[in-house]
Amino acid sequence: MIQVFNLIKTYGGSTPALADISFSVKDGEFVFLTGPSGAGKTTLFKILFGGEKYDRGQVLVNGVNVGKISEENLFALRRNIGVIFQDYKLLSKKTVFENISFAQEVIGVPSKTIRTRTWEVLKSVGLTSKKDAYPLQLSGGEQQRVAIARALVNNPKIILADEPTGNLDPEISLKILNLFEKINHEGKTVIFATHSLEMLRAQNHRLLTLNRGKII
Amino acid sequence: MVSFLANTLRTTGLNIKANRQVFMLSVATVAVAFSILGLFFLVHANLNALLSTWSKQVQLVIYLDDGISNTRLKALKKLFDDNEHIDSVHFISRDSAWKNFKSTFAEKSGFVAGLDLNPLPASYSLRFKEGLDRLKHIRQLVDELREGEGIESMEYGEKWISKFENFMIFLRFFILAVGGILGVGLVLIISNTIKLSIFSRREEIELMLLVGATHRSIKVPLILEGVVQGIGGVGIALGLIKLVHLYIKLQFQGSLESIFRGADLQFITQSFLWPMLLAGVIIGWVGSLISINQFLHSEDRR
Repeated sequence: MIQVFNLIKTYGGSTPALADISFSVKDGEFVFLTGPSGAGKTTLFKILFGGEKYDRGQVLVNGVNVGKISEENLFALRRNIGVIFQDYKLLSKKTVFENISFAQEVIGVPSKTIRTRTWEVLKSVGLTSKKDAYPLQLSGGEQQRVAIARALVNNPKIILADEPTGNLDPEISLKILNLFEKINHEGKTVIFATHSLEMLRAQNHRLLTLNRGKII
Repeated sequence: MVSFLANTLRTTGLNIKANRQVFMLSVATVAVAFSILGLFFLVHANLNALLSTWSKQVQLVIYLDDGISNTRLKALKKLFDDNEHIDSVHFISRDSAWKNFKSTFAEKSGFVAGLDLNPLPASYSLRFKEGLDRLKHIRQLVDELREGEGIESMEYGEKWISKFENFMIFLRFFILAVGGILGVGLVLIISNTIKLSIFSRREEIELMLLVGATHRSIKVPLILEGVVQGIGGVGIALGLIKLVHLYIKLQFQGSLESIFRGADLQFITQSFLWPMLLAGVIIGWVGSLISINQFLHSEDRR
């Protein structure tokens, strides 16, 4: 469960990036986060996974107060959150298989488990045939599916998707959205940030709209 | 613990393999930097050996009157033996002096061989212990002896020794200063290279943080890599210096021996060899620790 109370974040300018926002997302819920560019969506995500400090308010993720976690202990929070970005953030020198394995290696998953899990997650995103390809040899949609597989492989409870279809054409975008639907049906909490009306109309989920740092 | 170690070693190996170019560049930088330092130590070791040879040749020769009494001779011997600053005392009688003289010059001049008269005096040759006060101690003894009887003359190259001692003091300061400046420069160069090598992997580290890698699991392989870079660089540097040393020895040993009276070309002494290796480990360790800490601090939570 995610609970945000009176969250304020400023970057030094007169207008706050997030101005006193409060909301909650239940376990297993699918929520669309929308709003124009610069509305504060990415800032909110960064705060949720402990990548950004905030000025005031309280943020609880699965009952843990994010603002109180020391830098050394952030890893525990992050293992429960899978993050997906618009620009995929894949390692270009590693193959698809290696990119997904890497996310497990760095948290100390045993090698045998890594192979099995990587294969399973590649199957779930439909990319087993591309396991030896390098990211730059893949289409945008395929790269995003690798990023989704990487976010899922450590079995997090929460998925934060920051404009995951921002660089994709509408047809591929809908396929990616369906993939997130599937992930949500498997019991994961999903917050899907987008400003595409087409996406928002495609599925009937709760909508959180941010504008100039406020929820409207 | 065992699995953490095995995993760390494996990760370090994979990191090095995946970033061969950056790794080799860092090793090369460390190697070049330590080669410069090592060559400096090589010059230092040889200069020291040479100065030590010269220093040992500093002596006070006391020529005795032909008619010196046995009592005075014994008193002088006791005086020298009791002096704690004197390292060795060597007595040369008139006969041995003449014998030595003749054996040195007999073949070169028939005049010497045919001479029946021995014009050479007996003498004491004293070597003093090395130290900054050596000239002072020689002077003290010379002044003491001047007042007594039985001494014909004394010889110790006062001006030469004085210049030599001053040169030794200057050289020690010079070596300390140059070594210090060089050391600081090397630390800066190497730590910046390590910083660049870590910066080149920022995407990877950012991703590690994002998926929940602990600080320890990020730091340890990178620090280990820094240590390997340090040891590898120093190893290559020592190899290069040894090659230079062998080359000079093979090509110029004969000339050096004749110029510097049998001085052998030295390699870097043990007292510098192990500290160099240790410095490689420490620079690799500390350099990567500082760089990765700075990086994690700036990346983790802005």
